[in-house]
Amino acid sequence: MRRPQARGEAGRRLNPAITGIGLITPIGNDYASVERSLRGGIHGLEPVRFLGNPALPVKVAGTVKGFSVDSPSWRDWSWPAEYEIPREVLRGMAPHGVYAVCAVLQALAHAGLRPADVADDPRTGLYCASAGSPMLLHFNIAKMRAARGARGNPLGVVSSIAGTLNFNLAAHFRITGGVCGFVSACASSSHALGYAIDDIRLGRLDRIIVVGAEEMNADSLLPFAHMRALSGQSDPRRASRPFDAARDGFVGAGGAVALVLEGSRAAAGRGARALAQAEGWGQAADGYSVAASHPGGVGLRLAMERALADAGVDAGAIDHVSAHATSTTVGDSAEAAALGQVFTARGLRPRVSATKALTGHALSVSGAMQAALAVVSMSGGFVPGNPHLENPCPESEGLDLPRGAVEGAPAMVLSNSSGFGGSNVCHVLAAPAPITC
Amino acid sequence: MSTQPTDVPNPALGRLPARVLEAFERFRARGDPAAVEAVVMAAVVDYRPAGSGATRPIGDATLLIDDLGYDSVSVAELVFFLEDLFEVTVTNEDIQGVRTIGELRSCVARKLAEKPGAA
Repeated sequence: MRRPQARGEAGRRLNPAITGIGLITPIGNDYASVERSLRGGIHGLEPVRFLGNPALPVKVAGTVKGFSVDSPSWRDWSWPAEYEIPREVLRGMAPHGVYAVCAVLQALAHAGLRPADVADDPRTGLYCASAGSPMLLHFNIAKMRAARGARGNPLGVVSSIAGTLNFNLAAHFRITGGVCGFVSACASSSHALGYAIDDIRLGRLDRIIVVGAEEMNADSLLPFAHMRALSGQSDPRRASRPFDAARDGFVGAGGAVALVLEGSRAAAGRGARALAQAEGWGQAADGYSVAASHPGGVGLRLAMERALADAGVDAGAIDHVSAHATSTTVGDSAEAAALGQVFTARGLRPRVSATKALTGHALSVSGAMQAALAVVSMSGGFVPGNPHLENPCPESEGLDLPRGAVEGAPAMVLSNSSGFGGSNVCHVLAAPAPITC
Repeated sequence: MSTQPTDVPNPALGRLPARVLEAFERFRARGDPAAVEAVVMAAVVDYRPAGSGATRPIGDATLLIDDLGYDSVSVAELVFFLEDLFEVTVTNEDIQGVRTIGELRSCVARKLAEKPGAA
């Protein structure tokens, strides 16, 4: 990966600061709640039943509390009263758009920004990630077919296809700097974050809101059961247990995470507080399978090495790895292999935590959520644990997988993501440096 | 997990005021034209973009776009709602002929009269 060109007066690279975080997650809908869950190892998984069928092999999921967006009709949706979402905005949105609007509002407030500060600002962009809404796509197409094609929801396209987040959020928040959507499955918001880092470094934009969101319902989740990718366990603590020898699949989740990235000059200009620095990122592809990770973790290893090189640091500088580990048999083994090559083989033992034990796997939100959780734990002075891990799998031998949270702030975190088609994306995040021009 | 409403005569009416549901029931039971107009007027108010247009009473001469702040997308939403509810099909040509509330009411009445089995 070519080095970015943007540099400060002293030759420093202008890495963006993360100045705000918005969290609508199974383990909490605000910063403090998420930190409490993360530190305490408190999961956000609950029993679920889809389509009234108790025989389905999907028993638990990462649920978002305080919202009701299960209905295909926006008239039935509800969300926490502190967030204002106009009716005409709701009508064009997918259920996960509700999560996303709330996450963005929360992130802006966390960054000390008002929506009016980003509206019509040609230096603010918005990068989004979601898989769209299979539920609304199905609902709208079924109605169209029932009418033999004669009529259909005029907002069916913008409310349901991949891109629905970009369309709706850009219009609602009046984003004019640039808007883009990223579709690389469970690496989608990781790509969004990576390209946001680059575009700020390159001076193309001063501020980029990165948001990932997914709804969790029968239409979004059950297809993964048909791939035999989901855990069939009914006990949440046994269902999502990354790196455990007895793991049997991932636990689906919904939610939204938003991050506000700002260039140094823009952040300094308004006296913003940096929560963390985005030091670099890297990506690589497996070129191996449409769905499964390369068993040797080839692409993920290269992505990690590229992220470290982009950040200008050696592997030894990393003291915490936020693993992608979703609790699937193949994926966790591949990641363990890749981590072994990058760290263990060099005599390095950073602490490794897999937060999906607590949150479940929110698909394209994964990378943004991990980055946000890494910032939360770094700022809170601890490394999250792996509370559901009982018997580490053989492939993870040599990895430091603490069961409980470990006090002590990591200085630099490597956050991993992998998605279908062999997409691997990694970010290097560091404790904040004083913001200066 | 699903919470789709099942206690309303048509899911499209979910969460609308009870008087609208009652009007729709009167239309279904007796074909009451006044009930149709009540539903149409409720939909016009419901789909009107927020914070736009005049606040004076809505009448037959009220213009959807110039007076009520409708745009092409919100007109399409309103028309789809009525199509879905009354199970009629409104063509692009029909929509182009609808500028006022009166024209919308006439259009819906005409479509209902054209339905197979209409009295």
